[in-house]
Amino acid sequence: MRSADKVRLRLRSLFLRPRVEAELAAELSFHLEQQTAENIAAGMEAKEARRAALRLFGGFTQIQERCREMRGTRFIDELVQDLSYAVRTLRGSPAFTIVAALSLALGIGANTAIFSLINALILRPLAVQAPDRLVALGDTSHTGSLSEGSVRTDIFSYPMYEQLRDHNQSFTGLLASGRSGRLRVGTGGGAAAEPARGRIVSGNYFAVLGVRAVRGRTFTAAEDRAPGGDPVVVISHDYWQRRFAGDDGVIGRVLALNGYPFTVVGVAQPGFAGDVVGAPTEIWIPLMMQSQVNPGRKYLDRWDTSWLLFLGRLKPGASLARAQAEANALFKRSLTTYAGAAIPPQIMPGPDVKPIEASPGGAGFSSLRRQFSQPLLTLMAIVGLVLVVACANLANLLLERAVVRQKEIAVRLALGAGRPRLIRQLLTESLLLAVLGGVLGILFALWAGPALLRLTGGSSSVMPLDLRPDLPVLGFTTVLALLTGIAFGLAPARRATRVELAPTLKENARTVAGSGGTGRWPVAKLLVVCQFALSLLLLTGAGLFVRTLQNLERLNLGYDRERLVLLKVDPVAAGYTEGRLDAFPLQFLDRIKAVPGASAVTYSENGIFSGTESADGVSLEGTPRVERGIAIASDRVGPDYFQSVGVPLLAGREIGPRDRKGTTLVAVINEALAKRYFAGRSPLGKHLTIVGPPEDTVFEIVGVARDVRDHDLRGPVPPRFYTALAQSTSFASAFNVEIRTANPGALVKPLREAVRGYDPNLPVEELRPLSAMISESINHESLITKLSAVFGVLALLLASIGLYGVVSYTVARRANEIGIRMALGASRESVLWMVLRETLFLALAGVAIGVPAALAAARLVASRLVGLSAHDPATLAAATAVLLAVAVFAGAIPGSRATRVDPTQALRYG
Amino acid sequence: MGKPSDLVQGTLDLLILKTISLGPMHGWAIAKRIEQISADVLRVQQGSLYPALHRLEQQAWIAAAWGETETGRKAKLYSLTAAGREQLEKELASWDRLSTAINLVARMA
Repeated sequence: MRSADKVRLRLRSLFLRPRVEAELAAELSFHLEQQTAENIAAGMEAKEARRAALRLFGGFTQIQERCREMRGTRFIDELVQDLSYAVRTLRGSPAFTIVAALSLALGIGANTAIFSLINALILRPLAVQAPDRLVALGDTSHTGSLSEGSVRTDIFSYPMYEQLRDHNQSFTGLLASGRSGRLRVGTGGGAAAEPARGRIVSGNYFAVLGVRAVRGRTFTAAEDRAPGGDPVVVISHDYWQRRFAGDDGVIGRVLALNGYPFTVVGVAQPGFAGDVVGAPTEIWIPLMMQSQVNPGRKYLDRWDTSWLLFLGRLKPGASLARAQAEANALFKRSLTTYAGAAIPPQIMPGPDVKPIEASPGGAGFSSLRRQFSQPLLTLMAIVGLVLVVACANLANLLLERAVVRQKEIAVRLALGAGRPRLIRQLLTESLLLAVLGGVLGILFALWAGPALLRLTGGSSSVMPLDLRPDLPVLGFTTVLALLTGIAFGLAPARRATRVELAPTLKENARTVAGSGGTGRWPVAKLLVVCQFALSLLLLTGAGLFVRTLQNLERLNLGYDRERLVLLKVDPVAAGYTEGRLDAFPLQFLDRIKAVPGASAVTYSENGIFSGTESADGVSLEGTPRVERGIAIASDRVGPDYFQSVGVPLLAGREIGPRDRKGTTLVAVINEALAKRYFAGRSPLGKHLTIVGPPEDTVFEIVGVARDVRDHDLRGPVPPRFYTALAQSTSFASAFNVEIRTANPGALVKPLREAVRGYDPNLPVEELRPLSAMISESINHESLITKLSAVFGVLALLLASIGLYGVVSYTVARRANEIGIRMALGASRESVLWMVLRETLFLALAGVAIGVPAALAAARLVASRLVGLSAHDPATLAAATAVLLAVAVFAGAIPGSRATRVDPTQALRYG
Repeated sequence: MGKPSDLVQGTLDLLILKTISLGPMHGWAIAKRIEQISADVLRVQQGSLYPALHRLEQQAWIAAAWGETETGRKAKLYSLTAAGREQLEKELASWDRLSTAINLVARMA
């Protein structure tokens, strides 16, 4: 009861303030009247009685103030006062308000956009139950990996999953999730199959994550029993809405996944898009159906086929460390238990294999995360600096306004306003501006975030990241807006109230030469110098990125990148078996060679920038043999590979059509291998041995090829060797065809026709000019570059606006002095020089601070640079030159205005 | 009373609550009643009376209502709430304790 009354009174004081004040005044006057009456009754005359009563009272206003204090709403009262005053002031100068709000919106919005990307990709947990209790086992970036040939600890095989699932003590449930590979979904009724994103998962997937179905059901343990036994799928809510228009009849519908029929048994809850961030899943397929979805490929029964990642839900009381230790122990136990028959020694992990890593699994898996972490953080730093530059401008603007409002502030101070109170009120104005900028900024970010994604991601219709502004993003924006408001508002507010009362209040005080006036100067100039320093930093950074991008685009890859088309097909998925696979390469090659425009055609297992790579344990003649051999990258290629792709041979010959089954096994090594292991000697004629299982295979080295870049644009080229696919006993796991042609773009369609003509069921996994593939791989490189250039220019623009403002103000203040000088005979040029001298001084001061800052900052991004050092003098010099040129231009405008000062006018009104 | 000190402010609350417990009154009447009953020894300053009244009202120990005086003037009348009655008992008890203690020390032989 009592607290309800208290609250009611508080609310009354807040919202019915005028009434409450009137009541208080009435109450006190009543008392005054009574006292006066008493005095009159005691014999005083009316006027004296009243005066005596007032004296006894001791200060009407003070008592009112103290009563107000007692009401306890003072803080809110004052806040409301400040806010309404701030709104009035800002409305009074609309130009300033709009410019300030827009520049804040841009600065805060850019920061919010980048943060929302960081939030969506790196910070946000999965839309599952209690994500903080999830633990990920394996390397969380290997979301689409498939590795054959050894037992690994960063991705896992199905037999290893069974071991860990059945024998662990730390988890209430352990799920496995792996790539589905290319998925073509046929919805029946004669429509063509469409691509979809799938994920192959264990039966307990939805149970462990705590995700339910909104229609039908999710998977159960029953789906994990028999391979091939449960052709059922669960689809995502998004996919259900998009593809099936939310039709309830989707349950029970049959979809053909890569030709095999599956029945839809459930639709997952809305908002859940799988365990991979950045690649939302549309269809979930049970593990047991893997070989049906990937025809011709069986992964489930091999210990050395690693393709799964695990997520486990910790039991109450279990910890991540314990789970990791247990996983490693179970791993080792499985190896020893099954060593021999099921796990032959050659696929055992090596002695230097890293242990299984357990990490917090709440944020799911993501291959994009590792790729984009550093670029996003770099961008965050850049937009942060731009915001700082914008704040400096605003601070200067506010300082100018403060000078204009000096009289008003002096009057208020003289009337008894406390200085802290005034500062609080001026700060409220800044905060209001900042909050306005923040709100506009969020709107800007709502547009900018998805725009950025489109620039990086290409044209897929499913937006890979959910960029809805949720609590962390809004919280970030609010905090940023408040900090910004304080940053640019506090110092001007404090300076504005440091006013000498007497001189300011004099009748004809215009601009005051007291502490409020000249005291401002060092601050404004300091701000401009800092802005220039930051601009130099950003420009230099942008310059470094631009040149890196140019270097990447012009990088000599070792072959002619402008004249190659890449075609990747999957005969295994089309159901080709042994006999047909043997004949396939040459047959297919002949068909492609027949396409007009194809001047040379060859094939290779690992392609160029195709994403797959092989390595073999190798022993080289002349170097001591190491157990299991030295791991060296390898590829199996078709005849005339080097000639067709355009890689020159430095010695010997290349792999030709005469190297077939039955002839001597041959290999070609690259420069790096020759240099590292055959330094000084000719490798031709020496032997290279691929070490065991089942037994050693010996190749004769017949040629040395120039180093080429076929997987990575950065870093040194690793040693590599090439053998003939025709001489190999097993078919390639992937089949890439390289076609040399004068006009790659024009060949895409005829090639597709040729493939369809050869076999309409042969899936085309990739068909693109090589230049397009390389552009894509430097896509986010070019995004960072473009954005940093934009922001660098933006910062310079803001800084020059600041400089312009400062120099203009100098000229205006010194109009008097300039008038005198000109009257005394100074030439226009000397006046202009006077102004420019000031400008150059400020700009050079900025350069002096900016150069060491730029050098220091460049070191942070040195790892991204290609072809130039972080301290590249040419870039730094160019950035400095641009900066100085812009500064001179910014100063010349007010400078030329100064030369046009009419001496008589200046002297009269100066 | 001279300038109100902390001790005196606490005592003022007690005096106000006790005075109001006899019936609703306005601020002027409260001051006069205290003067009267204490035989002119305690004179309440307006500067302390009204802030005290407002504070007590905020604490919901007294409730205010606008009513008419005998002469027909509108005045703000304060009355004791149930919580206020409890507070009055508490204050009386602690005043007794305090004054007994002071007496003991001041009059010790």
